[in-house]
Amino acid sequence: MHVVSQLLEMSGIGRDRMQLRWVSAAEGQIFADFVKELSALMGEMGAFDPDEYKLKLAAVEGALNSPRLRWLLGMDRQLTERENVYHQKVDDKLYRQLLDEATQEEYQKSLILEVLRDGPQSVREIAEKSGLEIYAVSQLLSDIERAGLVDLHGYEGTTPKFIRLAA
Amino acid sequence: MSQTFEPKILAFLCNWCAYAGADLAGVSRFQYPPTIRVIRTMCSGRVDPSHVVEGLKSGFDGVFVFG
Amino acid sequence: MNEKKASQPVTGAVMVVGGGIAGVQSALDLAESGYFVYLVENSSAIGGVMAQLDKTFPTNDCSMCILSPKLVEGGRHLNVRLMTLCDVESLEGEAGNFTVTVNERPRYISMEKCIACGVCAEKCPKKVEDTFDERLGPRKSAYVKYPQAVPLKYAIEAESCIYFKNGKCRACEKFCPAGAVEFDQKPQTHTIQVGSVILAPGFKAFSPEVYDTYGFGKYPNVITSMQFERILSASGPYEGHLVRPSDKTEPKKIAWLQCVGSRDIHHGAHGYCSGVCCMYAIKEAVIAKEHSKKGLDTAIFFMDMRTYGKDFERYYNRAKDETGVRFIRSRIHSVANDPQTNDLTLEYVDESGQIQSEVFDMVVLSIGLEISDEMKKMAEKIGVKLDMDGFAETSAFQPVATSRDGVYVCGAFSGPKDIPYSVMEASAAAAASAVLLSSARGSLTQEKTYPAEEDVEKEEPRVGVFVCHCGINIGSVVDVPSVKEYARSLPNVAFVAENLFSCSQDTQQVIRDAIKEHRLNRVVVAACTPRTHEPLFQETIREAGLNRYLFELANIRDQDSWVHQAEPEKATAKAKDLVRMAVAKVALLEPIERLRVDLNQDGLVIGGGMAGMSAALNLADQGFKIYLVEEKPHLGGHALKVHKSWKGEDVSAFVKGMVERVENHPRIEVIKNTKVKDVSGFVGQFKTSLQSNGASRELDHGVAIIATGAHSLAPDLYLYGQNDRVSRWHDLEKMFEEDPKKLDEAEAVAFIQCVGSREPERPYCSKICCTSSVQQALELKARKPDLDVYVLYRDMRTYGGREDLYKKAREQGVLFIRFAQEEKPQVEAVKEGTREKLQITVRDHILGRPIKINVDYLNLATALIPKGQEEIAKFFKVPLSDDGFFLEAHMKLRPVDFATDGVFIAGLAHYPKPIEESIAQAQAAAARAASVLAKPYVEVEPVVSLVDQDLCIGCGLCEASCPFGAIRLHKVVGRGYRAETIAASCKGCGVCSAACPKKAIDMMHFRDRQICAAIRAGGARQ
Repeated sequence: MHVVSQLLEMSGIGRDRMQLRWVSAAEGQIFADFVKELSALMGEMGAFDPDEYKLKLAAVEGALNSPRLRWLLGMDRQLTERENVYHQKVDDKLYRQLLDEATQEEYQKSLILEVLRDGPQSVREIAEKSGLEIYAVSQLLSDIERAGLVDLHGYEGTTPKFIRLAA
Repeated sequence: MSQTFEPKILAFLCNWCAYAGADLAGVSRFQYPPTIRVIRTMCSGRVDPSHVVEGLKSGFDGVFVFG
Repeated sequence: MNEKKASQPVTGAVMVVGGGIAGVQSALDLAESGYFVYLVENSSAIGGVMAQLDKTFPTNDCSMCILSPKLVEGGRHLNVRLMTLCDVESLEGEAGNFTVTVNERPRYISMEKCIACGVCAEKCPKKVEDTFDERLGPRKSAYVKYPQAVPLKYAIEAESCIYFKNGKCRACEKFCPAGAVEFDQKPQTHTIQVGSVILAPGFKAFSPEVYDTYGFGKYPNVITSMQFERILSASGPYEGHLVRPSDKTEPKKIAWLQCVGSRDIHHGAHGYCSGVCCMYAIKEAVIAKEHSKKGLDTAIFFMDMRTYGKDFERYYNRAKDETGVRFIRSRIHSVANDPQTNDLTLEYVDESGQIQSEVFDMVVLSIGLEISDEMKKMAEKIGVKLDMDGFAETSAFQPVATSRDGVYVCGAFSGPKDIPYSVMEASAAAAASAVLLSSARGSLTQEKTYPAEEDVEKEEPRVGVFVCHCGINIGSVVDVPSVKEYARSLPNVAFVAENLFSCSQDTQQVIRDAIKEHRLNRVVVAACTPRTHEPLFQETIREAGLNRYLFELANIRDQDSWVHQAEPEKATAKAKDLVRMAVAKVALLEPIERLRVDLNQDGLVIGGGMAGMSAALNLADQGFKIYLVEEKPHLGGHALKVHKSWKGEDVSAFVKGMVERVENHPRIEVIKNTKVKDVSGFVGQFKTSLQSNGASRELDHGVAIIATGAHSLAPDLYLYGQNDRVSRWHDLEKMFEEDPKKLDEAEAVAFIQCVGSREPERPYCSKICCTSSVQQALELKARKPDLDVYVLYRDMRTYGGREDLYKKAREQGVLFIRFAQEEKPQVEAVKEGTREKLQITVRDHILGRPIKINVDYLNLATALIPKGQEEIAKFFKVPLSDDGFFLEAHMKLRPVDFATDGVFIAGLAHYPKPIEESIAQAQAAAARAASVLAKPYVEVEPVVSLVDQDLCIGCGLCEASCPFGAIRLHKVVGRGYRAETIAASCKGCGVCSAACPKKAIDMMHFRDRQICAAIRAGGARQ
C-alpha cells in the first residue's frame, strides 16, 4: 500500500486519497472517529473527477501491474526477512529505496505508454501531455523500446515519432 | 446540501477486525458521516493495490483500507 | 474406565458447566469429534471473564476480537445446545450414563422472538449497576450482558425490574417491536442424559473489601484490576478513555498493588499465589501508558515477579526497560486518601530500607482468583472433592479428572491459571470425556441433509432482493419501500420484497418459497451484519436447493441505519448503494462446492516422554491407531529422573505403569531408536520417513503431534563440571539416594536458581526450577532436620498452589537468599580443616552486604533448553519462537495447534512446564487431533485461493508469503514448477494473491472481478 500512496502522490491525485488505518473488533468508537476525521479530510480535498485524471489513473494502474513492481513487492519478505539468491539479507531501508525508485520509473514509463495510446507522437508531444521532462522522456523511451513495448514509427520532417506496440 | 462537500468513499474492511469494529460502532450507535461504502474482505491482505485505483476510477472520492 | 465401555453402552453426550473460554473450548472440541454437548451457563450469555478483559498478555491481542469467533461458533454449532440462565441441581448415575437435573431461570424475553434491537433496554426506566462493567457504570433492568453477547438476546432481571416489584411499568413490553417480552415465563427444570460432565465454572475475582486499610469501596480512586480492565476497554464504561472514577480526569500516576487476596493468610485472603496477577498488572500498566497522551507514570508494587510463562519474561523486560514501568519490590499495607483531591498516598520501604512516601492519582488492586460459595455448593451437589483452598481436587497424572468418575474439570476451577492453560485443559477434558464415551461417538450428533443443488451456472442471474425493516431498527431511518423499489430497477433483479424481520423463522420460509416460485438463482438480503447472520441465510437458500455461496448480505443496519440516525435521506441513499453493490457482486458469484479431502485416520506422535506417551495413549484409547517414534532406546524421557510431583505423588511408579500400558497397547506401535528423516504431505495425508540403524521406513498418517521434549543446560558456571560437589537438577537427590552416607556427613547444602535462565542470551524463565528446588530442600529438611539448606534465588516463582511449599520450606528453616541478576553468587572450593567445602559469596539483600556460606554440596537449577527443534520444524513447516521452542498458532486460544493444520504440539518442546501441564497439554493435543481424525475426510471451507496454471510461472513467492503453508510448488511435466493451493490448509486470506507478480492467483468467493464489480457499482451515481 506504500507504493499505491507513492503513485497517487506522483500522479498528482494526492496520497491522502487513500487512507490506511488499523481498527480492532473492540474499537467501535475508534472506527467511527476515523470515518469522521477522514471524511472531513476528504471533504476538504473536494470531489475527485476520474475523467480529469483518466490518463494519470491509467498510468498508476499500469505501474501497479508492471511485472517489475509486482516482483519487487512479492519479494518483500523474501528479501528483507530471509535472503536473496546470493544469501544476502537486504536491509529494509535499501529495499524501500529500491522500491521508491522503481515505483517512480514504472509510473513514468506507464504514463508514456498511456500517452501513446492516442497514436504516434514525438518526444516533445509526449513530454507535454505527460508533464515529464523532455530529457526524462527520451531516456525512458529508450528503455521501453528495448523492452519491445514501443517502436520508432517514422519521421515527421526530422522529428522522430514513436508508436505503442503493447496492447 | 450541507455546506462542506460530502465525499463518497470506498472502504475495505477486514472481516475479523475492522468489519467487526464497524459493527460494534453500530451496536453502540456511534454516529459517523454517511460517506463510506463498504466492501468486506476476509483479510486486508486481499486488497490489491489495483482495487484502490478501480475505486477512484469508478467515481469514489477516496479509498479507506481498514485492517 | 475402558472395561466399563466394553460391557455397558454409554451416552454419547456431554454436559459442560460454565460458558467461559474453557467451557466453550471443551464444547467445541467435543462437538467436532462426534459428541452432543449441553453447554450450561448461569448468566444470560456465554463469554465469561475473558469477555470483560481489554487486552490479553503477552501478545496484547484485543480480548474480544479473539474470543468472539469462538463464541459465535459455539452459539451456532448444530451439536451444541446452549442453556443460559441455568444451574445444575443434581447429578445421578455413573460415568458413561449420568442423569443431570438443570434448573432454568426465566429470561422474560423470548429467545425465538428477540431481535436484539435494544429497544427494551432503551425504554426501561430502571437503572442498575452494570456488573459486566464491574459496577463502574449503569445498565438497565432489561439488558444484554455485553454488545457481542452470545446468544445476542436481551433479558430482564427480575430482582430489579419495576414491574416485578410494583406490578406496573411494562414499558419494554409496550415498545418491543417483536413482541418478545414474556412476563409470564416460569422457571423450568430439565432432565438430561449425558455420558460425562465437564466442570468449567471458572473463578470469582477476590473482593478486596476485607482489607480495610486499602480503602476499596471508600476511596473512589482505589479500584480493582477487573475494574481497570473495563476502564481500558473501548466498549467499557468510559469508552476506553483512561480517566479516574472520582472526577473523570486523566491520571498522571497509577500504582498497582500485587498479591491482594493472595499469598496472605490473614484478612480472609488466601495463602496460594493466584498465578496471573503479575502478568496482568504489567499488561495493564503497559496498555495504560499507551492510552495516556500526556505521559503516565506507572508503578507496580510486588513481592516476587512471577513471569514464568511463555514469553512472559520478555514482556516483563520490555515493560521495565522500554516502556518504563517502575517495579518496586515492597508489599504495601495501607493506602491514605486525601478527601479533597481523592489522591492516594502510599508509604513503603524501598530496597535500601528507606521509608518512602509517594502520591498517586489511582491505585489498582491486583486481586486474586478464588472459588465462590455458589461454586462450592455446585461442587457438593455434583459430588466432587475440593482441596483446602476450595479448588477442585486433581492429581498431577490426571490433571482434568475430579474425584468423581466421569466428571472432569478445566480452567480456574481446579486452581488459579491463565487463559492458555485453561484452554489447554479444556481440550484435555474433552479428550478425557472422549475416551470414556468413544463407543458412542456419533450416536447423538446430527448431520443435516439437504436437497440436491440446482445447477444454475449456465442460467442468467435471477436475483431476489429482500430488504429488512428489522422492526424499526432499519425502517425508522432508512426508507425501506424506496430501497425495495430501487432494487427492482437494478440489472438481473427478478424479485424484490420487504420483511419486518428477515431473520425470523417464518421469513426463512418466505425466502425459500420466493426462490422456488420466481426461479431465483441468487439472493441478496439487505439487513444486518454478515458476521452474525450470513450463515443463517446461506442455510436457508441451501435448503431451497441453491448453493450457499450464491448469497450476499448488504449491511444496512449496523453500518447504516444505526450510525446515521439523524440523516435518514443519506442513510437511504447509502442503503441503495449498498444494495446495488451487493446485487452487482452476487450476479458474478459462482456456486462453490464444499471440499472434502481424504484423510488417513492414523496418527503419529514424535517423542516418547510423558507428553508423547499421554497423547498416544489418549488417542489410542479413543480408538485411533498411533505410531509413537522415540529417538532413544527407551520410553519415559525426563520424567524418569523425577521422583515426586509437587503434590507428592510418586512419579517413578506412574511412569513405569505408563510405559507398560503404551508398550502393550494394541493400537500403539512403539518405534524406538528411530529418527524422523523427512516429512511430506499435509493434513489428512502426511508421509513421514523414519530412519533407525540404517534401515528406513515410511509411515502414512493424517495428523502429527510433536512432543520432542527439551534438555537441561550443562552450564559453565559455579564450578559445574570442575568440582563434583556441584550438580544440577535431580543429580543431588540421586547421589544421596545411592550413597546415603554423603547426606549423613553433610552439614549444609545450597541451591542456586536461574542458572542460564532469565539471562540476556536466554530471556525466559524455566518455570519449574523454583518448585523443584523448594521441593528438594523440603525433602532434605525432612530427612535431616539439622542440615542447613540455602536457596539462592532471584524471584521465588512457586506459582499457584505451589506457594504452600515455599511457605512450608520457610517454616522448616530453609534459608532463602535473594540475589540480583548483576550480582551473582561466587563459588569457590575451600577447605574447612580437612573437609572439602564450597564457599558461596552472595550479597544479602536485607543486610545489604556480602555474606559467605560454606556448604558441602551445591545443586544448580539450570535452564531448560530446546534442542534439535529446527529439523522437525522445517519438516512440518512450523515456526519456532525466538527462544527456540515451537511456536503455537496462537499463544492464547490455540495453545496446542500450529498455523499448519493437522500438526500439534505438547510438552517441554513447547515451553518448560511441570508434569501435570505436560499431560494436560498432551491430552489437549490429542483432543485437537481427534477432532480432525474423527471423520474419514477433512471438510474444507472452500473460500480458498485459486491458481491459474497458465499464468503461473512457478516463482514460488506465494509459497514464501503464505502464513499457513497452504500453497506450494509442484512439478508439472514439461513446464517446470507451478503453484497449487492445498485447499485443506488454506484460510482464504488472499496474501498470496496480492504477492503474485503475475496476478495468477484469485480468491474463491472474493474474486477480483467480483470485488471490482462491487466497486464499480458502488462508485456509480444513482
